[in-house]
Amino acid sequence: MLNVTSPPQKPQSYRTNVEIDWCPGCGDFGILNALVLALQELKIPNENIVLTGGIGCSSKIPHYVNVNTFHTLHGRSLAQAQAVKIANPKLEVISASGDGDGLGIGSAHFVAAGRRNVDLTYILFDNGVYGLTKGQASPTLPYGEMPKSIETENLKFPVNPLFLGLASGFTFVARSYSYNIKHLKETLIRAIKHRGLAMVDVMQPCVTYNDINTKEFYDPRLYDIEKEGWDPVAANEKEYKEKIPQAVLKSLEWGDRIPMGVFIEYQTETYDQKLQKLVPDYGKRNYVMEPIDSSGKPINDVTNLMDSFC
Amino acid sequence: MMHDLNLMVAGPQGSGINFTSDSFAKLMTREGYHVFTNAELFSTIKGEHSYFRVRVCKDMIRSYSKRIDILIPLDAKSVLLHTKELSKDGAIIYENNIDDERHEEIPYKNILQSVATKFGKSLSDLNVMKNTVALAGATRMIGLDKEKLKKVISENFSSRPKIAEMNNSIVDEVYAEFSPKRSFDLEPTTYKKRMLINTTHAVGMGKVAAGLKFQSYYPITPASDESNYLERIMGTYDFVVEQTEDEIAAINMAIAAANTGLRSATSTSGPGFSLMVEALSYAGMTETPVVIFFYQRAGPATGMPTRHEQGDLKYALSAGHGEFPRVVIAPGDHKEAFYDTTEAFNIAETYQLPVIVLLDKAMAMSNYTVDPFDLSKVTIKRGKLILKETSDYLRYRFTDDGISPRSVPGVKGGLVTIAGDEHDEDGHIFTEDADNRIRMMEKRMRKLDSVVRDLPPDMKFKFYGDRDNKKVVLSWGSAKGPILDAMEKVKDVSLLQIRMMEPFPAEEVLKILAGKTIIDVEQNYSGQLADLLKEKTGLSVSSRVVKFNGRPIAYEEMVEVLSKPQPAKREVLNYA
Repeated sequence: MLNVTSPPQKPQSYRTNVEIDWCPGCGDFGILNALVLALQELKIPNENIVLTGGIGCSSKIPHYVNVNTFHTLHGRSLAQAQAVKIANPKLEVISASGDGDGLGIGSAHFVAAGRRNVDLTYILFDNGVYGLTKGQASPTLPYGEMPKSIETENLKFPVNPLFLGLASGFTFVARSYSYNIKHLKETLIRAIKHRGLAMVDVMQPCVTYNDINTKEFYDPRLYDIEKEGWDPVAANEKEYKEKIPQAVLKSLEWGDRIPMGVFIEYQTETYDQKLQKLVPDYGKRNYVMEPIDSSGKPINDVTNLMDSFC
Repeated sequence: MMHDLNLMVAGPQGSGINFTSDSFAKLMTREGYHVFTNAELFSTIKGEHSYFRVRVCKDMIRSYSKRIDILIPLDAKSVLLHTKELSKDGAIIYENNIDDERHEEIPYKNILQSVATKFGKSLSDLNVMKNTVALAGATRMIGLDKEKLKKVISENFSSRPKIAEMNNSIVDEVYAEFSPKRSFDLEPTTYKKRMLINTTHAVGMGKVAAGLKFQSYYPITPASDESNYLERIMGTYDFVVEQTEDEIAAINMAIAAANTGLRSATSTSGPGFSLMVEALSYAGMTETPVVIFFYQRAGPATGMPTRHEQGDLKYALSAGHGEFPRVVIAPGDHKEAFYDTTEAFNIAETYQLPVIVLLDKAMAMSNYTVDPFDLSKVTIKRGKLILKETSDYLRYRFTDDGISPRSVPGVKGGLVTIAGDEHDEDGHIFTEDADNRIRMMEKRMRKLDSVVRDLPPDMKFKFYGDRDNKKVVLSWGSAKGPILDAMEKVKDVSLLQIRMMEPFPAEEVLKILAGKTIIDVEQNYSGQLADLLKEKTGLSVSSRVVKFNGRPIAYEEMVEVLSKPQPAKREVLNYA
């Protein structure tokens, strides 16, 4: 969801002056640049944005973006991001996570997030390895591959983030590429504007440890499904159910041609709308800014609750 | 005249034992009596043997008694198991004839048949209402007004008026047809308005009073009763209860909501707390005001999920990697649980650290009477919270007391930078500078000095009895109830109840206990508080009285052990 309340931001106002410690040439730079460009274009006030990260190279991104930043624990970026949005629906929430962080140790949150459909944007930095611990196989590394950093070939089948996102109920599922800043920026803008849970799976090389899924690997293979005629927008539940199997089929493509673009975009009930069924005033009042006391005395009166036990 | 009366309802789980005992407890509460209940359940939904005790007295009571005066067994197994606990002039109310002169015969079949006919039902339809026959039999023997019982039943079945009507018709029939062999004359009392609650209700009400806006939880016995209670009232009091995919998500969500600016909590029991431990350490590092309600149950591992234990004291004190400040408080009854809950949020927000409130299964499942809380005693302190535009903001700014001003997302000029890695004042992590590390560690740990200095003594401990008594019982949590009850009989012992475990009030405790004979009473295997006392003050206890069979301490076993001139070095209580 978009939240614009103040004048356009100055260029670079979304970057901190913290020195970046990613390896030269790392795919993370492309994602950082695209995100900053997207935020500049959207003109969301810095103080209304919360960016969460897990643990790993990519999850350090909060330190480079000049917004509210929650650098969480390994795997917990998405869990915390959802709570931020539930706590204050007026905030624009973006959650960053690596493939190990999000689909290994944090996979329970990934699946559960799809069930809630909290209105936020989840960026998956997908490079097939655990970079910060020197390149072990991550959940998205293809079966049988053996990048130079691992000791034995990978015996596990990969998780397909798009397929899992579609199956879990993410209402916006997209793939982009860290060396295609224009496509990535546009995709992030669409994801942020989407009202509901949006995932952008970003293909990115790890220049230090993954010598298989490199720029040279991706450049000739990636193609844009929307340029080849795919319309991801589902206008209603019927269309959604018709498009999901097709989107899943597209998500399974891998090899000489690797699809990118938006696979599904479906506007349905978000979690804040669902919460209003249980808490009628939810979202109508600002829980954070509203006082809970009057001169140190509670505003809530529990007399009726006490009487219910007498 | 009887001073106290003890009723037990026993039978297979799912046979209506809760309904029977709850209705009786509610009725006696409304008669103006003090009521104490104890629930012993098997970890299953239907079928296994379970029992509820209800103790009633005109004076305050805080424990259950071994003695049973009225036994309501709902199956033959319960007759076999519990008749031996029945006092010699007690009564058994059971549908079939048994060879025991204490058996009271109620014409179950005639009564149920007559009501069935009246409502156009078959006898078998009314089998599930046998417990109402027994309940009415008991209240008849105590001489209670049947209309008051019928009112309680109607309230219990408020959503099913036809069922209420049938049950109440049974009550009329029992009062007309049953002539008891004996009666129970309880010392009379005068009405006083009291609540019949357990600790999950007290904590729930405390959270509402404290202005809780976000609670997360994953289902677990016995903690989730509290979250389920909060779910029932969240629409009225305007807050969110979030059931998560696991306890890791529960604590991480509670932490994130707290850092977004809400009063936020999670509730769990041992296995769930174990999953939360990494994030507890994170809350310490990130200086997050989150409150964790930890309902202990019998461990280790899955242990005995529906049974009682105070086995997690040392765990709550030490859980989490690295060193970070935390506050651990342990209420000893429902009243303390309410006020401590409101205070836990004040402590968390004032000092910006995780607070653990240690509770237990006995408190969570024991309903007893409590005077309505004095809401004028509840205060709200939010510490250095910034909700208006600010400038030159640094989340982890160094200050004299170690507490930094705390902004939240949405505040202009106050961008929040939360970091679980060691960080600089600005919340950035790329300084592993040695001097910064020392300053940051000291900043965080220094906050505990303020806790020790600021909090009033009765938040830290309470002393009961004569200060001059040579023998002092050292205890905590729900063990306090049976100890205080026993002290009405055993006058030469006093009680020091420790309420704040971390930071431990070492100086005050040393002053009180120096030169005393210390008897440690705990519901765990090793006597963990005695170890903590030794660590913090150097004092040794002369005796460790422990109970770890999954059941809370009974009144009589407490009296027996405290009456000994010198209890043994280790005394294991085993009444079940």
